[in-house]
Amino acid sequence: MRRRTVFAALGAAASASALAACGSDKDEPTATPSKDKGNGKLVIWADTKRTAVLKKYADQFGKDNGVTVEVKEISENLQQVFVTASQQGSGPDVVVGAHDWIGNLVQNGAIDPVQLSAQQKSLFAAAAVKAVTFNGQIYGAPYALENIALVRNTDLVPTAPASIEDLVKAGQDLKKSGKVSEILLDQCGASGDAYHIYPIYSSGGGSLFGLTSAGDPDPNNVTVNSADSIAAFTKLKELGEKGSGALKTSIAAENVVATFTAKKAAFFITGSWNIADIKKAGIKYDITPIPGFAGGKPAQPFLGVQAFFVASKGKSKAMAQEFVANYVTNKEVANALYAADPRPPALLAAQDDAKTADPDVAKWLDAGKDGLPMPAIPAMNEIWGPFGNAEVAVIKGGDPKTAADAAAKAINDAIAKKK
Amino acid sequence: MTTPSTTSSGSGGVTGAGGSGSPRSGLPGQRGSDAPKRGTGKSAPPSEHRPREITVGFLVGRLIALGLVAALLLFGLPPLIRTDNWIGVGVLVAAGAGIAYLYLTRRHVPLKYLLPGTVFLIVFQLVPVILTVSTAFTNFGDGHRGTKEEAITAIQTGSLEQVTGAASYNLSPALKDGKLVFLLLPVDDKGDPVLDQAKVGTADGLSELPGLTDANLSLTKQLSEVPGYDILSKPDASARGDEIANFAVPTEQGAIKSSGLSKAVELKAVRAYDAACDCVTDTKTGTVYPADEAKGYFVSADGTVLSGGQGWKVGVGWANFTRIFTDKTVSGNFFSVFVWNVVFALLSVLTTFALGLVCALALHSPRMRGTKIYRTILILPYAMPSFAMLLVWRDMFNKDFGLINNLFGWHIDWLGQPTTARLSLILVNLWLGFPYMFLVATGALQAIPKELTEASSIDGATAWQGFKRVTLPLLLVALTPLLISSFAYNFNNFNAIKLVTDGGPYAIDNATVGATDLLISYTYRLAFGGIAQLGFAAAVSVIIFTLVAVMSIIGFRRSRSLEEVYS
Amino acid sequence: MTWFKRTGWRHLVAVVVAIFSLFPIVFVISAAFNPLGTLASSKLWPTGASGENFSHLFSNTAFSHWFLNSLVIALASSFASVFLSFSAAYAFSRMRFRGRRVGLMALLLVQMFPQFLAIVAIFILFTDITENWRYIGFDTPAGLLLLYMGTALGVNTWLMKGFLDTVPKELDESATVDGASHVQVFFRILLPLVAPILAVTAMLAFIGTMSEVLMANIFLRDPESKTLAVGLYGLVAGERNTNFGMFAAGTLLTAVPTVGVFLYLQKYIVNGLTAGAVKG
Repeated sequence: MRRRTVFAALGAAASASALAACGSDKDEPTATPSKDKGNGKLVIWADTKRTAVLKKYADQFGKDNGVTVEVKEISENLQQVFVTASQQGSGPDVVVGAHDWIGNLVQNGAIDPVQLSAQQKSLFAAAAVKAVTFNGQIYGAPYALENIALVRNTDLVPTAPASIEDLVKAGQDLKKSGKVSEILLDQCGASGDAYHIYPIYSSGGGSLFGLTSAGDPDPNNVTVNSADSIAAFTKLKELGEKGSGALKTSIAAENVVATFTAKKAAFFITGSWNIADIKKAGIKYDITPIPGFAGGKPAQPFLGVQAFFVASKGKSKAMAQEFVANYVTNKEVANALYAADPRPPALLAAQDDAKTADPDVAKWLDAGKDGLPMPAIPAMNEIWGPFGNAEVAVIKGGDPKTAADAAAKAINDAIAKKK
Repeated sequence: MTTPSTTSSGSGGVTGAGGSGSPRSGLPGQRGSDAPKRGTGKSAPPSEHRPREITVGFLVGRLIALGLVAALLLFGLPPLIRTDNWIGVGVLVAAGAGIAYLYLTRRHVPLKYLLPGTVFLIVFQLVPVILTVSTAFTNFGDGHRGTKEEAITAIQTGSLEQVTGAASYNLSPALKDGKLVFLLLPVDDKGDPVLDQAKVGTADGLSELPGLTDANLSLTKQLSEVPGYDILSKPDASARGDEIANFAVPTEQGAIKSSGLSKAVELKAVRAYDAACDCVTDTKTGTVYPADEAKGYFVSADGTVLSGGQGWKVGVGWANFTRIFTDKTVSGNFFSVFVWNVVFALLSVLTTFALGLVCALALHSPRMRGTKIYRTILILPYAMPSFAMLLVWRDMFNKDFGLINNLFGWHIDWLGQPTTARLSLILVNLWLGFPYMFLVATGALQAIPKELTEASSIDGATAWQGFKRVTLPLLLVALTPLLISSFAYNFNNFNAIKLVTDGGPYAIDNATVGATDLLISYTYRLAFGGIAQLGFAAAVSVIIFTLVAVMSIIGFRRSRSLEEVYS
Repeated sequence: MTWFKRTGWRHLVAVVVAIFSLFPIVFVISAAFNPLGTLASSKLWPTGASGENFSHLFSNTAFSHWFLNSLVIALASSFASVFLSFSAAYAFSRMRFRGRRVGLMALLLVQMFPQFLAIVAIFILFTDITENWRYIGFDTPAGLLLLYMGTALGVNTWLMKGFLDTVPKELDESATVDGASHVQVFFRILLPLVAPILAVTAMLAFIGTMSEVLMANIFLRDPESKTLAVGLYGLVAGERNTNFGMFAAGTLLTAVPTVGVFLYLQKYIVNGLTAGAVKG
């Protein structure tokens, strides 16, 4: 088995090198037809959310193309399972995941670029295309966008706050009058949550990486403890448990929704995934961009893109390319995926449909329009833990510089070790 | 126990088949008092027993043994032969012969009983351990998972960029004289086809395809009818998927390749590997990246790793091990983590054992009523999925929203302070673990002959003295291995830490190691935190294993005198 | 006072520990019946009683499949592992052979190796197995079962060996003298005697299999072929929108078969040596 995988890889390498400008490899064998035919089968891996809806459209695709399509569900740790399985030749042909996996998947040679034509690219939201572009290549077909915004209980607060200061003031007033118990719900938990704090942090001037000359995040330049970032951490401290109390480590993923739907808080920083519960509880709400500090930078949420990837060691690669580049990029599939999991579609035509059907979609997109595509470089994975620790430390009232320095040291150490 | 015994007597025939001769269990020179006794059993004339052993059960037993071997060979061999895997065939045949021999001979009785479980143990426990250990001497991890060939393939595939300004095409794969060709229909910016620029692509290059009209198009604007060409239907095209994916139509700048089965684009390779210099050249910048066989990367002269970061797996000798001891991040925190780790594992075992034993003793009385209900309730914590309950406990400890503070009116930041976080973990682990100890202690209590306990109470010893002198030592004989194994389990209890505290709380000036980190959770973060370093993780596993094993063996030495009572 | 010394303290211990056991479970029950999925209820009692979480569990997920799969796999695996480990324990307890001590120690030690890279090893092993023997490869319960058998020996063997050691050797020796083969001693004499520990071991193996996530997550990948633990994990892991209500409901239901098995096995666990001997 292993032997065969190597042969297939050599075959692909030879055909790729035939294209290479420097043609010094004439002595290499020409493309050997792989023994591993796909057997007319396309295997797709997805997480729990997406399996059911994909199944229906995958079956349709199978019928049109005379193949059987299997959709497999990996409940936990999809990215790691995919990379490991792929390496051993047990992986799928197509995998569905978040765009920030790309850096890691590429360095492991687990996915192939998807060659979208210029005309196909123009069908997608520009931010989505940018997010799936890595090292100059498009590595996946985007299908949904996600970002967080400020969800507000309009019965408690009719107008959106213009700044974080306004928000805190409105929250404090409500708390004093006993109407709510929390000023703001921004999940943090005992380990911190860089994703949910980032907009406020960025408004305070904080950043994670410097930029390379090409404008990409630079893993060799971690800016978590730059002067600007320390200033941002100081602002978080002021909002924290020893300050105004808007940010608390006790507010965590498992209690934010319940607290908001019980009307114990008027402001909730969250994404479209929690709207269903809010609707079910009958809360009147509005979605607006997360406000920044008065006179500060705009609050920039992370922009996440869900995408389809073509596995480079799949057994039906042409079919996988066809599915990803030419099938899931069509409107009906995008609409169906939206219906199953209401995150704004990446395909512009489907986005228009969704906007008409649900006014919230436009609001989410508006809140994310200046968002920062989540860095897809592998080094981004080193940020979460140490940054979260620093966040917790300052929210509890710790010294911002000490916390930021400790985080930067941990991040830099980790990045340096892994070169 | 009806179900088990019915079935097991069936398979028991297998083990029984060869074993039914004279028991050869005792090895010569066996120490202990049982040797002479067994000797008597052995010396009983075998000939007397033999006639009654050739029974139906005896024959059935052998048949089952032979059937098993036959099935193994019959089902196991064909796929191996088909793929020319002769080593596999050899292993399987040898295994079959071994099994046949073992269960047909009268020798090797212990092995007959040990073999079934041992086979599984070796294949599914020992082999993974060996694989892991061998990984420890490599740089295996993200970016270094495959071979150099695979890395080169990935680099070259990833470097195929679309030629700027070139057309993109609607593709119709077709056959001409039995050979694959690409019928290419250029599309404009709106996605509409440009009929008069249609082309035929072969392995030799492009040529014009004149005289097409709308009549040649399908609804999806693909070419569906072209005289002289046999356009492949979608199922036919998918059957030739690999061929289509590998097909390249050479052009001046690069080649036209398919993008799926219905589109094609013109590509050129930006980075190319040259075997002559064992290097990758970026044709855009002209930078040369020679292969660094020590690191498993293509690195340019100025130390930049080739963008994309694809590397390959290379051996690194003892580097992963030396890093554990020389790297300040790792070794600097090692001792404090280790101390807490031992304390955590010890306390987990002691508390669960104490509570489990007390419960077992309390319910171990014929006078006691309601034991069935009590037992069922006590077993509940163990019956709930543990990962779920770990999450539940975490939420109960929440300072503002948690049940514990709310119920008692406290404001304790349980998981936010080192001491309380550690206490909380011990408590959670007690809750999760005591039913296990309760179960095994209950089982073990049954094994203590009543005569012994009764004898001690006749001697006038109090219940407590009786327990201390008779029951506890006997219990410990049976349970010491379990306690040691429980210690080892808790020493590496990754889930409890990961799901409840995730290692935290962290000191403000140290974002690397938290107050409740165990060696396993701490190194998990170091090795997997972002970019997985599986080789390093394997080295750490070896070290952790060595520590646990040494501690366990010491534990055994101390309790061995107990075991000698019975063995 | 004497009543307390004899029996009263037993009830006191049992009640106190029962409360400790039930405390978090009541909390889970309250979350399971709370229509707004949350584990964060600050009250012990449900704020709203609704079976919605349970009905969603059955209508929105393949819960009934998961349930059945888990039951079948756990029963099969606990039965097989009890048989394997008891066979080994018999050999270790009643026979003397070279490598016995080393073997016993190795059994215990091999389980202590950290499972850091289990997933890598499993893929290396089972990729080949799947290629050659599809019916025991990935996506088959049989393959998962095989894998679980790898842990059949180990601490359970020790547990049973310890128990067997306490069964007087005279019992089986006299049988041997009477002409019984070691197989007959094994099945007719020892097996019935050790019913309690067999039941305990079966219970431990059953629970172990029921809550196993790591391997089952890799092995059973069709939504209908998942086990309870993996299915439930999928409800809270990974995604940001997690349904704790459904999760709590599922957690409760998972405990049902385990408690059922325990109730069934309990009589074997508490019937002591003498009861077993009478039966045998």
